[in-house]
Amino acid sequence: MKLGFDEYVHLDSPLHRWDPRYKFIGLMVLIFAFSFVRDLRILPAMVVVTFAILIISRLPLSFIAARLRYPSFFLLVVVLVLPFISGHTVVMSIGPLDVRQEGLISVLLIATRFISILTIGLIIFSTASFLTSIKAMRALGLPAILTDMTLLAFRYLYEIGDDLQRMRTAMWLRGFQAKRLSIHGLGILSSLGGSVLVRSYERSEGVYKAMILRGYGHAGHTQDEFHACSRDIVGLALTLLVAAGFIIGGILYGHI
Amino acid sequence: MHIPDGFLPAGVCAAGYAVTAASTWYSIRKINQKENFREDIPKASLLTAAFFVVSWIHIPVPPASVHLVLNGLLGAMLGYFAFPAILIGLFFQAVMFQHGGLTTLGVNAVIMGLPVILSYYIFRLRKVWRKDSRLTTGIFGFLAGFVGIAVSVVLFVVILLTNIPADIDVKTEQAAIYALALAHVPLIAIEGVFTALVTVFLQRVRPRLLEAV
Repeated sequence: MKLGFDEYVHLDSPLHRWDPRYKFIGLMVLIFAFSFVRDLRILPAMVVVTFAILIISRLPLSFIAARLRYPSFFLLVVVLVLPFISGHTVVMSIGPLDVRQEGLISVLLIATRFISILTIGLIIFSTASFLTSIKAMRALGLPAILTDMTLLAFRYLYEIGDDLQRMRTAMWLRGFQAKRLSIHGLGILSSLGGSVLVRSYERSEGVYKAMILRGYGHAGHTQDEFHACSRDIVGLALTLLVAAGFIIGGILYGHI
Repeated sequence: MHIPDGFLPAGVCAAGYAVTAASTWYSIRKINQKENFREDIPKASLLTAAFFVVSWIHIPVPPASVHLVLNGLLGAMLGYFAFPAILIGLFFQAVMFQHGGLTTLGVNAVIMGLPVILSYYIFRLRKVWRKDSRLTTGIFGFLAGFVGIAVSVVLFVVILLTNIPADIDVKTEQAAIYALALAHVPLIAIEGVFTALVTVFLQRVRPRLLEAV
């Protein structure tokens, strides 16, 4: 089982070369600044900034478009519902339904923020390996328990997913087909889920022993693998400046 | 049942992160108080991955199918590790599948994570009742699963509908809240039954897993 992760980590771009700690801080502040935007006049600037960062990252547009496909279903629901129920100023009527101006503006704001934030989020985690990103978060002060759990869970996610797939195949080969909702069917599916949990628990006992043998829990001198240069700091300063512009714009031109 | 990026104002996203940080700090503090907490880290991590995978099991509800959230079961089994596990699961979903979001990670962790602590305490109550009985385990498993997802649904619907639309009519908003909550009732019932069945299965096969790590 593959999740199509770390697909474009090998590319060479200023964003790939940017110190992951500075990249994480800068771009996370930027996406938070995007959620301050409540005015249509600031939207073009948000689109331009997002597109500029995407071009600099050299990630293919098709990659971003493919990743946006699934979450866009949620957006579609909002697009189809909000213009008809939000606001009072009717701009046109479709049969018995009134399309309202306030609803249309809300949809435009939500959709643009959604696409911009998602694109920048994808850029953060697609221009460095997942392992590097987590190490950067640890270097920034994320508690060791959280980073250890994240890395271990990520490491075994594929294997446990394969376990589930094998067990499902075995069930189908033995004639099980979940087509109707019944207590019997739920019982079998709960045994499948329970078996995945039992297998994972048993595997974790071996993992812990292996970790102990490798010195887990004995705090040694861990050398910081990240070294920022002046280019990284300038990049961060520029990104924070742009983010500050969006926050100020959000405060001046809209209610938060 | 995750709120995507761009839907909530910055203030709500920041408040979500603040509550999540406080809950994570509290959970980690409780974990650190345990004598051999390091031994529990690999167990909690692999079970976090396993829960993530088990939630891919689709339950047929004709004409479609639903996938379970399992936050009640997660609370029952992982105890104080449950909140960090939820946070990690949501992070994976946001980064790998763009399901949920990075700015809304805090809010989504509150929606899914706070009820797991409640589920943990509910499931622990079975020890006060009658020990080692499958019926007791099943009943408290059902309650943990049911309450875990029911509280999440209420939080999700209220946060979503009170924050997205700018000018929704009060009656329309109330109707939408009731409709969304009612649409989740079958899922809540299925989660309760599924959690009860898994806890009974685990008590039969590997009871140690029910003694929260």
